Amino acid sequence: MNPREHYRKWRYRLVPDHVLGEILAKDWIDTAIPVVILALTLTVLGALIPGLVSVRGLSGLSAQFGELLLVTLAMTIVVLAGGIDLSIGSVFALANFTTLALFNMLGWPILLVIPIALALGGLVGLVNGVLVGFLRLRAFLTTLVTLIIVRSFVDMLVLAYAVKVARPKFRSAIWDFISFKSVLGLPMALVVALVVAAIAHLTLSRLRLGWHIRAVGGSRRSAYNSGINVRATIATTYVISGVLSAAAGVFYAARLNAAGSDTGVGLEVLALTAAVVGGTSLGGGRGSAFKAVLGAVIVLIVSNSLIRLSLPTGGTSFVLGLVLLAAVAIDVKWLKNRGKLLSRVYVSPTYLALPPAPSTQEGSASPYALNNKLGQVEVIGLDRIEGPEDPILDSAGRLYSGTRHGDIVRFSGPDLSEMEVFVHVGGHPLGMAFDRDENLISCVAGMGVYKITPDRKVTKLTDQTNRSWFTVIDDSRMRLADDLDIAPDGRIYFSEATIRFDLSEWMIDALEGRGNGRIICYDPRNGSTRTIIPNLKFPNGICMARDGESFFYCETFGCNVSRYWFAGSKAGKRELVIASLPGYPDNINRASDGGYWLALVGLRTPFFDMALRDPAARKRMVERVAPDEWLFPNMNYGCVIKFDEIGRITDCLWDRHGLNHPMITSMREHKGWLYLGGVSNNRIGRYRIPGADPEWTAHASYRGETL
Amino acid sequence: MIGALSRLLDPLRGAGRHAITVPPMDGALQPNERLEEAPLVCSLASPDALTLSGPTALAASNSKLFAFELDAGAPREVGAFAADIVCAALSQKGELAVGLSDGRVTFRRVDAGAIAPSPLSDLAQFSCPTALAWADDGALFVCEGSQTNPASEWKRDLTERGSSGSVWRVNPGGEAQRLAGDLAYPNGVLALPDGSAIVSESWRSRLIRISADGATDVVVDDLPGYPAGLARRSAGGAWLALFAPRSQLFEFILRERSLREQMMREIDPDCWMAPALRPARSFLEPLQGGALKQLGVMKPWAPSRSYGLVLALDAQMRPEASAHSRANGLRHGVRSLVESDGRLIVASKGGDAVVSLALDARGGFA
Repeated sequence: MNPREHYRKWRYRLVPDHVLGEILAKDWIDTAIPVVILALTLTVLGALIPGLVSVRGLSGLSAQFGELLLVTLAMTIVVLAGGIDLSIGSVFALANFTTLALFNMLGWPILLVIPIALALGGLVGLVNGVLVGFLRLRAFLTTLVTLIIVRSFVDMLVLAYAVKVARPKFRSAIWDFISFKSVLGLPMALVVALVVAAIAHLTLSRLRLGWHIRAVGGSRRSAYNSGINVRATIATTYVISGVLSAAAGVFYAARLNAAGSDTGVGLEVLALTAAVVGGTSLGGGRGSAFKAVLGAVIVLIVSNSLIRLSLPTGGTSFVLGLVLLAAVAIDVKWLKNRGKLLSRVYVSPTYLALPPAPSTQEGSASPYALNNKLGQVEVIGLDRIEGPEDPILDSAGRLYSGTRHGDIVRFSGPDLSEMEVFVHVGGHPLGMAFDRDENLISCVAGMGVYKITPDRKVTKLTDQTNRSWFTVIDDSRMRLADDLDIAPDGRIYFSEATIRFDLSEWMIDALEGRGNGRIICYDPRNGSTRTIIPNLKFPNGICMARDGESFFYCETFGCNVSRYWFAGSKAGKRELVIASLPGYPDNINRASDGGYWLALVGLRTPFFDMALRDPAARKRMVERVAPDEWLFPNMNYGCVIKFDEIGRITDCLWDRHGLNHPMITSMREHKGWLYLGGVSNNRIGRYRIPGADPEWTAHASYRGETL
Repeated sequence: MIGALSRLLDPLRGAGRHAITVPPMDGALQPNERLEEAPLVCSLASPDALTLSGPTALAASNSKLFAFELDAGAPREVGAFAADIVCAALSQKGELAVGLSDGRVTFRRVDAGAIAPSPLSDLAQFSCPTALAWADDGALFVCEGSQTNPASEWKRDLTERGSSGSVWRVNPGGEAQRLAGDLAYPNGVLALPDGSAIVSESWRSRLIRISADGATDVVVDDLPGYPAGLARRSAGGAWLALFAPRSQLFEFILRERSLREQMMREIDPDCWMAPALRPARSFLEPLQGGALKQLGVMKPWAPSRSYGLVLALDAQMRPEASAHSRANGLRHGVRSLVESDGRLIVASKGGDAVVSLALDARGGFA
């Protein structure tokens, strides 16, 4: 190995390139932009204005911040459902006036005054909600009208009572507490706003109402089609918005104790700017409470800094307008390009040096020497079945197989010509095994592990395993369960080929060459599921060895076969059985002579093996070449081999031209025949094994009655 | 100034010289199955260097020369050479020039389908003759593909991005004159009546015109494949064979220096990720994702290292019509072709077949 390859090996071992794509695939990555904007704002303005970024500078803003956060949350919730609420500022002013009038002028108890003010805000919100949600008027125009009407109403009242309401005649300990006291150094307004933000976060991300709001905003039609009450949901958001704005108004009253005609003017623009700068999409459906907090912080710091920079009249609004414009532009561009960026960076090849491939030269002494034994296999279900990954036979000799349509079909009759859909599971059923009670256990790509009883009842066994500590991707949910086998004690061992790609993209995993897969154990005795071997290179076939304490498994893109002991004196040990295959191993199953059949789904090509040692070139290829033109392992040819317990190759069956049965992902021996499956084939093959025991079945073998 | 700056950025952006895009097969090049479905004239292993003497055609198969009647009839061996035959040209007077893979250009006389020795002496100054054509005045145009690689190593020359080829004119007296140099594998030549010649410059995927005084200009650019043999077309213009398709992945590999050098060093040329004459025969050959068989079917539009393509060029040498054998077909790797009496005879080197395409009254594909 030359120095360059040494460097590559360590470079790709030490730097986890794949993490970048996984981070970009996360939902919360949208929040990265407002965080960056906030950092920039603090840096730039902090440099311009001495003392801005200090405890005193920031604490002076905290009471205002509470109010702004409340209205920003109000706006965020409405915008999330696809609407807009312009009446926020007017409701704010109305609540402010109501509180002062009822408390200062009329002397009502504060514990009654505050709910009344909130209810009044809710009432205005309800008007908006009914008009926009149920009567389906335009949100923009409707709330603009409410803005004007409520504002004029407040203006008339202010004109008449401004002086009276501002003169406190009564005292209340609670009101003083709200006005002047702080909790943990934070003013009450901020404490309440943060609590509301936390509740909003829980509601939006965890509760039914929040999911409904986001669904309606994301796609109104789809939400309706999924049975969500769209109109009521929209109306609810306006009511929430009204109440939150009113709450902000109450805190304003407590802080300043004054009602003027300019109270809350332009607040809706400030709230909208804060929501959008925080990353809430004006199109609806995308946003969060945390983004609202970020947006409110940014807007507050910017607007206060501008005031302290003493810009000329109107300058502050002008700059805020520019900020809003920039935020909208960034949001649109980000939304449009995130997918593109993700598709560029997600595939991340790594260094993989496979051991040299053994020779397949025809007529050579190699155990893998090319022949044409499979050239004339019989074909079952031609053009009637699509994607039989792993055919299996029951004890009555009927043939079962999954299809890409999510069915498990069954062939019966004397020559297996009668086909019926045995059961519809969904996903793409791949590996299969029968348990002792003749239940069919199947790994279903995209879904998990399922059990099908002889009377066609489908039950999920597992679709979750333990979450690993140090992966960015959430690997608790199963993505591509592939093949399984059942231990004598009933535990089910199965492989999950990769946690980074779906079944339709399984070949891309070969381009990466990383150990993205794992072997998982499901224990039916207590229903637990645990990952037992992580970081395998596309683990695929699994087959119980005859000692009852271990199983064989293969790594497709590692081109090897290993054995793992789960019980007995060697429990927990792993051993390499075949270190280097000429192709990519797939399913493993028992053979009648005590050996094990192994399918090679494709063959190694010298060029691909070489490219695996140059990850940077593969990465550039992924970036620049169209996906259909990407280099792949050669999967147009297949082969079946047989190995014994210590990994010696005892038989090798080739289809030289790959015409009759282009791809082989699995094979099952049953009463002297070998049944062949292929995940992208439209047929099941059948090959008469010369000299095989015509009575041997896997069922008898697993019961221990025969080899 | 801006142009220079943007060229500096080209490697980063994958633009300009660094773009790996290939022209689409569209317009006159829209795919069809004409070549794949054309009637067979005869089966011959790796047929190449097709020439015509009346109703009899001569074609090379490795180092042997075969003759066959165009209206059926099995090929019969008429001559054998010391090395593989790369190209041949037959003059009006029956003088057959043959370019061999060992570099020699040798001569024979053809008389009513029989081969006899020629008084002309061999030309020994070449190392890689790829195409020959007789001019009306009795001079011989010789394309020298490369100075560094013999014709059998064309794949290496392509992968090395070779451009050491040249075009020569050998006068009847025997003295040779170099008309143009630094060409990227001239691989086909057609002599025009005015003394100039059209040459297909394979690795640059274009046709150039070389006038008698050696001035060159580009006739057709940006072909979607690697041009090889040219033949006279009775309707005006020419017939052009493209022996392999360009592909994005190979264009990419050409720009990956260490990868392609490692490939040339470590891997058997048949297994290179490089254009080929034959459809894939072995599982050791590389596969591209789109060529994966789905439900037992290889799609005709799959990315392929080999392809069969014949172009009809009009009088201005613009592509006018085409005949294809696509990714799922077999008649790939056409290097030579010749028109005869209302049909076009095509030698598919990668498909081991000589086929005939019928022409209509206007000289296009029927």
